[in-house]
Amino acid sequence: MCTTGNSKHQAAGAANSPDECLAWQGLLERIPYARHLGLQAQTDNGGVLIHLPYREALIGNFKLPALHGGVLAALIELTARTAAQRRDKDHRCPRILDSHINYLRSAAILPTFASAEIIRQGRRTSLVEVMCWQDNRAAPIASGRVQLLLPAVVATNTEAQEQ
Amino acid sequence: MQIISITKNQACIRLPPNPRLFVDDNTEEFCASVLYSLADSASGLAVLAEARDSSPIATLDLRVDYFQPAKGDRALLAVATCPKLTEEVAFIHCDIFHEGCHELLATANATFMRNTLGGRILANERA
Repeated sequence: MCTTGNSKHQAAGAANSPDECLAWQGLLERIPYARHLGLQAQTDNGGVLIHLPYREALIGNFKLPALHGGVLAALIELTARTAAQRRDKDHRCPRILDSHINYLRSAAILPTFASAEIIRQGRRTSLVEVMCWQDNRAAPIASGRVQLLLPAVVATNTEAQEQ
Repeated sequence: MQIISITKNQACIRLPPNPRLFVDDNTEEFCASVLYSLADSASGLAVLAEARDSSPIATLDLRVDYFQPAKGDRALLAVATCPKLTEEVAFIHCDIFHEGCHELLATANATFMRNTLGGRILANERA
């Protein structure tokens, strides 16, 4: 458990993991579709990952059986969105511009996890890479690259005067 | 999701509005991932339409560009076409609109692997 004392010594933006996890969960709970899928934030070795619990309604192929590709896409896009929103200092809510997902293995009927890596976060856009895995983190089932747009910041008085 | 039409190499499916699929409690707007799912389903159907068989397929990759937000008070339509089909691979293009409106909400490009009768399916069928 991280205490308040510990967090004082951490660098800005690298909040302690349990607090950060709660913040991610808070953002997910504001998204009706994320609630519908049952997405949960979890602490992960100093960072946060998102867990998609398995349920039968998520199956896309009953013959295999395998999870629907669209459900994995939702996990990837919402992980990217939450990561970008948490990284932004004003926690602005981003809009997804495009996403490109590669399906690497068929998704078994198991719990699925996703972790995000922010490739670049600027003032207006964010590029996030997400990996998705199930029982073996070294054997990812899907990877995605999501480009997001952060809404314009309202200029402060000082900035407005400078222009 | 409802199948509206399947023609030679094209499939059209419809998704009615549903608040569970929204992006925010305070905005009547579909979550982008819902459009992604719709594109995936329509694209898969277009592969089967062009191939005229039901052998299993798998999405290799799918890219969606979101042009504008999808309002939550109107149904969505996805129209997927298969411009090229080979023995192993199918290429698909899919456009998403609001019902009764020609303005594009999103566009998608996908690649599917055909005849993915892998070990797991065969094992299940033998069992």
